[in-house]
Amino acid sequence: MSEPALELRNVSKYYGEFCAVNDLSLTVPRGCIYGFLGPNGAGKTTSLRMILDILRPSSGTISVLGAPSALDVRHRIGYLPEEKGLYKKMKAWAVIAYFAGLKGLSSGDARRRAFELLERYGLKDFAQAKTEALSKGMGQKVQVLASIAHDPELVILDEPFSGLDPVNQGVLEEIVTDLRDRGRTVLFSTHVMAHAERLCDRLVIIGGGRRLFDGTMTEARRTLPHRVRLHTDDDPAPLRGVPGVTGLISDGPGAWQVELSEGADPQLVLRACFERAIRLQTFNAAEPSLHDVFMKLVGPSAREASFR
Amino acid sequence: MRYIWLVGLREFLENARTKGFWIGIFLFPVIILVSGALPILLAKKGISTRHYVVIDQTGEFAPKVRTELGRQRTTEVEDALHDFARRDPAPRELARFIRASGSNQPLSRLDLDGWKRHAGSNYLTVSGFNPPRAAWLEVPVPKGINPSNDVPSIEAQLRPWLRGEFTLPPSEANPSPKLFAAVIIPRGYGVGTNESASLRYWAENTADTSLRDSIQRQLSDELRRREYRSLGVDPAIIARVEARRAPITDLNPRKAEGEEKVGMADRLRQWAPSFFVYLLWVSIFAVSQMLLNSVIEEKSNRIIEVLLSSVTPGELMLGKLLGVAMTGGIMMTAWFGSIIGMASVQARIFSSAAAAGAVNPAASLPTDVLSLFQSTWLLPGFAAYFILGYIAYATIFLTIGSLCNTLKDAQNFMGPVMLVLMVPLFLMPFIPRDPNGPIATIFSWIPLYTPFVMMNRITGSPPLFDVIGTGIVLVGFDILILWGCGRIFRLAILRTGQPPRIIELFRWLRNR
Repeated sequence: MSEPALELRNVSKYYGEFCAVNDLSLTVPRGCIYGFLGPNGAGKTTSLRMILDILRPSSGTISVLGAPSALDVRHRIGYLPEEKGLYKKMKAWAVIAYFAGLKGLSSGDARRRAFELLERYGLKDFAQAKTEALSKGMGQKVQVLASIAHDPELVILDEPFSGLDPVNQGVLEEIVTDLRDRGRTVLFSTHVMAHAERLCDRLVIIGGGRRLFDGTMTEARRTLPHRVRLHTDDDPAPLRGVPGVTGLISDGPGAWQVELSEGADPQLVLRACFERAIRLQTFNAAEPSLHDVFMKLVGPSAREASFR
Repeated sequence: MRYIWLVGLREFLENARTKGFWIGIFLFPVIILVSGALPILLAKKGISTRHYVVIDQTGEFAPKVRTELGRQRTTEVEDALHDFARRDPAPRELARFIRASGSNQPLSRLDLDGWKRHAGSNYLTVSGFNPPRAAWLEVPVPKGINPSNDVPSIEAQLRPWLRGEFTLPPSEANPSPKLFAAVIIPRGYGVGTNESASLRYWAENTADTSLRDSIQRQLSDELRRREYRSLGVDPAIIARVEARRAPITDLNPRKAEGEEKVGMADRLRQWAPSFFVYLLWVSIFAVSQMLLNSVIEEKSNRIIEVLLSSVTPGELMLGKLLGVAMTGGIMMTAWFGSIIGMASVQARIFSSAAAAGAVNPAASLPTDVLSLFQSTWLLPGFAAYFILGYIAYATIFLTIGSLCNTLKDAQNFMGPVMLVLMVPLFLMPFIPRDPNGPIATIFSWIPLYTPFVMMNRITGSPPLFDVIGTGIVLVGFDILILWGCGRIFRLAILRTGQPPRIIELFRWLRNR
């Protein structure tokens, strides 16, 4: 079990002159939930397709569950693509059973498993409905179930949360954590930071085809300097001289971010405010959010990338 | 292999669940049945009796016309009586006069003259016999019209009758019969070559010309007879001379001695391939269209990615080919099954009639159709060419589907393919006439046309070299198409946006 679920080494993908993925390396250990983050056009879908061997990388090697190609271990992998679609005329259970069959389950097992999953995740009443009659969210749930029906060791979900309402997002989070709790590995891409923050054990952030960050959530937060957010009508400039304060940034009218050096205590800032008679409306010493990390890492390039 | 089968099975079930599939299966036999039975039904029931008047100012021609039309009617009734006499069991009143079929008389026949002597031509004495309804019935000139008036005034009086404003006295079958036609033979008709005094045929309906044609034929005969007589020639001699026909017997050197005569079965054998070619064409086209649609569906709603994470593009392609082939195969089997089924039911009816001595067993169309299916290479040939032709065309359509995101995109590619596919249809009439001629031979060697052209030649005993050679070329071509299209397919299937240009396709063929 020491062998990673997934390993990419120096993988690049070129479409003619255009470089979609540039020298990407990453390692996904087994039994974790791994977030794959990046702005639009960052190369997430291309990377996932290469992992699945739907596309071949221009250079570099990929090892999936120890095999050189995902096709060799395709029965042990589940995949939910970014753009969701189902056979319109097929019944919900039949779609799940069909994909499970393609993943090696016998037709009897596939059918049993389809009904079992539909019941467990609240779609029992729709098992016999044609997929064209399902709402978008239900259709998407059916598709997620179809991708995990064969109980794969590695599940790859491309933007699984998009288009789901908060209740069903919750159901999906439950599905994902269930999988991890049973020792499965889940790799999912998203650009909704809240999901990544709640679910991921580890994450990678890519932008413009390059890896910008790879590590645990704590490590991600550490990439940003500690900062304190505060609101005041007074001028906070006197804080600049306080030991441990490395910068002061305006964050809108009356809102400020005070950057602290590594290990500095936010309480010092609070005390300095009292001492210097700066009247505070709010004082927030929380850790930086994943959103902040993401914006810092990809912010400058994402604007331009999304319009390419 | 299991995945090819799974993909194929899903494809088949999806198609089999559509209404179009079942309509296709059942409509075809119904069309065959109806197209066989409809003309007979229409002839029996469809047309009601049509009434006409004849106004003959010469007084010479109307009796001739009446005699001739009367004779035609008698023949019609007597033919019906013949058919009636063949019933099993034979009608009581006619049983004595029925003569068994002989070698040159395919059907048993009624000794009509004997019966007439006995019953005095009165068919009303035959119980259960309903003479066919007369197509035409002459009625007296309506009251108030004086036949000796001048033509324009007669015509002016007739117009409202012909337009249906006035109706004739009611009859048993028709409460308000309409005057369908009026025939006016003006004074001076037939004298010299007077074109102005022509017969005037009035009718609202200009489509049914049977009465007009029949009258014209008889009057032409009568005018000719008169002219012969005026020239001093005996019309009887002329009639005898005109009855001469150049005798022709059709013989075929390939048939066993004593059976060289070309019969119905032989003609059937010569033309049946055309039917098969047409069927082949329709089925290949219909089936390939299904493939195109299904690939475009999977591509446009991106199911394709999930599929490709489970199966290889090659498995997907072969699975789809298999699934749609099953659909087409079942449709074909149903069609042929219904033809053979119908033919054998009719053949059984026929042979029981033949056993009873009512008909000559050698002259049955259903039996011929059956023996055609049993005795020749038509069915196995059809199966083989259907499969080989299907692989080539279906793969091409499948690849077109993989290149396009919408049916609209596909239509641009379809144009040229359709043109290519049309060629065998144009060739169809020419090939049976000269099945081993240059056109047939050349087109047999073009793999895209081999199935159609060879199917068309199959009963013309093509040289073995052609059969085997074109077969090998076709199989090779199928393999090439599968290989080439497989390469394009795996690259195209994930592509979104504009379909690629032709030049890109060639690049794809060379490397991946």
